[in-house]
Amino acid sequence: MTARRFKPNETVDFVVVGSGAAGGVIARELSQAGLTVLVFEQGPRLSPADFEHDELKYWFLSGITSGPISSPQTFRKSPSDTATLPRGPNPLMYARLVGGSSNHYTANFWRFHEIDFHERSVYGSISGTAFADWPISYRELEPYYTKVEWEVGVSGLAYASPFDPPRSKPYPMPPMPVKSSGVLMEAGARKLGLHPFPAPLAIASQPFRGRPACVHCGFCMGFGCEARAKSSTLFSVIPEAEATGRCEVRATSYVFRVETDSAGRTTGVHYFDADKRQHFQKARAVVLSANGAETARLLLNSTSNRFPHGLANSSGMVGKHLMFNQGAGVHAVFEHEINDYKSVQVTRILHDFYDADPKRGFYGGGGIDARINPQPGLWAMAAGGDLPTWGSEFKARLEAFPRSTMSTGHCTSLPLGTNSVSLDPSVKDAWGIPAIRVTYKDHPDDLATSKFLQDRSYEIMEAAGAQKVWRDQVEENSGGAHLLGTCRMGDDPKTSVVDKYHRTHDVANLFLCDGSSFVTSGRGQPTMTIQALAFRAGDYIGQFAKRNEI
Amino acid sequence: MHDTEDLEGTSRRSFLLSTGGLFTTAWLGTQWAAITAAAHHAEDMAAADLAAAPTWKGFQFLSESESKDVDAIAGQIVPSGRTPGAREAHAVYFIDRAMSTFFAAWSAEFRAGLAEFQAKFHALHPDVSSFAAAGSETQIAFLKSVDRTPFFETARLLTVLGMFSSPKYGGNTAGIGWKMMGFEDRHAFTPPFGHYDANYLGFVPYPEKPA
Repeated sequence: MTARRFKPNETVDFVVVGSGAAGGVIARELSQAGLTVLVFEQGPRLSPADFEHDELKYWFLSGITSGPISSPQTFRKSPSDTATLPRGPNPLMYARLVGGSSNHYTANFWRFHEIDFHERSVYGSISGTAFADWPISYRELEPYYTKVEWEVGVSGLAYASPFDPPRSKPYPMPPMPVKSSGVLMEAGARKLGLHPFPAPLAIASQPFRGRPACVHCGFCMGFGCEARAKSSTLFSVIPEAEATGRCEVRATSYVFRVETDSAGRTTGVHYFDADKRQHFQKARAVVLSANGAETARLLLNSTSNRFPHGLANSSGMVGKHLMFNQGAGVHAVFEHEINDYKSVQVTRILHDFYDADPKRGFYGGGGIDARINPQPGLWAMAAGGDLPTWGSEFKARLEAFPRSTMSTGHCTSLPLGTNSVSLDPSVKDAWGIPAIRVTYKDHPDDLATSKFLQDRSYEIMEAAGAQKVWRDQVEENSGGAHLLGTCRMGDDPKTSVVDKYHRTHDVANLFLCDGSSFVTSGRGQPTMTIQALAFRAGDYIGQFAKRNEI
Repeated sequence: MHDTEDLEGTSRRSFLLSTGGLFTTAWLGTQWAAITAAAHHAEDMAAADLAAAPTWKGFQFLSESESKDVDAIAGQIVPSGRTPGAREAHAVYFIDRAMSTFFAAWSAEFRAGLAEFQAKFHALHPDVSSFAAAGSETQIAFLKSVDRTPFFETARLLTVLGMFSSPKYGGNTAGIGWKMMGFEDRHAFTPPFGHYDANYLGFVPYPEKPA
């Protein structure tokens, strides 16, 4: 069946804003449940042939990401500062094309552990933070993690880590072939009594649901997959949604306002087409999956007499508690060739330090992986810490690229009311819509966790026999790609934006599902959980629609 | 093809750090057509004689004296030697193209920074006609005194991009930067990828069972 094309005045059951990790999944779930779905995507629809190995374009010329000229963002560290336009990149990074950031993610697909959902109960409150339990448990989400693995496509080795949470099924595909970086990291970590294991990745290690296996080109992080082996929604669930005949993905269509009626219900969305002409799309219900930055911005830009502080924002929590995940790594050089630029970015990880431990003197935990900044320019660009950056030592580092790898920690960020996505009071985007203003300063515990994991990474690389190890700089984030927590989920309408089914507390037929729903940050690899939440949300929202509870 | 966008400022340390960090949040932009048109021009120039030093002709942005100094700076950032450096990769052509097209927003600040660099060098070494004309040891000693300045960091960023970006942008002539680094730009590889995975015996399970 071919993809649906809705007529201009047709009312659809659902508008889904955003076609990324969450939007793609929800579109498939709702359309397969028999509902009509129109997905809006601000960016274009690209094919695998459009994805190039071009570092300058993808990393430095906004190849597929939201760029600073059309979509500027301002940044400040504290609410008392005036935010300014950074002179280089936008602080918040996300891909803008059909499939969203699921095109350019590295595809590390860690499940959250049970502890992630009830840390506040275990460790108590943390002064000055909005540290809280989730309104759902790991047990409730587990079937949907399994669904992500089997229906989106994740490769891995079940039960390999003694720290793994319970699972109802093994992975559908074996792990990716181990790389030399993984072998070294595994050897070093085992020597230290740690438990490295094969990294779960949303990349096909063998042909999967009509897609080919990975060809190991190495251009995962930051790039779209030319082989369709990465399980981006562009290649996985979106075609399945379209195949129902009830789903249209409308690309280069930028939703800038969610409309509501006098009863406080949403009636549809206003959007710009590719020629910047405005249109209105009627819908019985709206799901925002525009990412943790744009979902909050869209709500804040949808004010009305009834919702003067932004839609679904009676709590004042929309945009607050932005979390990026902290992290820092070490660079290491070994005797023989590693060639870490080949194949997927990560093949071994460990979760020995996943849980927080009060004995450390600070809150936080995370995972450690073996990886590299795989492309030569990105590798050469690394600076800070004690890395040589020019001259003969720098040249030697460049020449050692084939013998080099990194070990990197990925960790928690605490939810702070002062860290936020808000509207800049003066800067607008190329469509005249108020721009994103980012306010962010890491909690000291986040930096302490980052340093703690970096020290462990250093020890692992030394134990693995590295000839030399350099540290990256542990520093405050001035931006991020993990956009989490800005419309947090909770039972109390006073302190959260959506309920446990992703329905906004304020608007009965408006749902939000993406990184914005997170209550805590997890340990640095959020997309697996975003997609599990999306499968769960799609399941419940579809049931609500069928029971006329929307 | 969809548009890309233009860089809106100059390089700063935070930018450099971010590009090497976890998130590599860097992205800059330009009008794509302008980049590719300029890049073809630069490629034609660079392809004229791959082994030769720059001819100091045909630059769009840099003057002859500027281009010689920029080439010398790039040549110290990634020195020549047993393997090619920034000079052999013709990074200066990339920098000239970048300044006149996709990084044009940086150009005024880059030029002012270069002028300041040249003036400072001249004040210290009044008997040497230019940085480019100085001996290598003099150049290195001087660079050590300025390697925390925004100008130098911009020069480093541009040199690195000029060495390792696709040759279609004017630098990395004939992929010489990639070869120096041991990077093969291919669309498929097969295991084993390196020395250590060639003899991997397989994952040995832990006695501890997961939850």
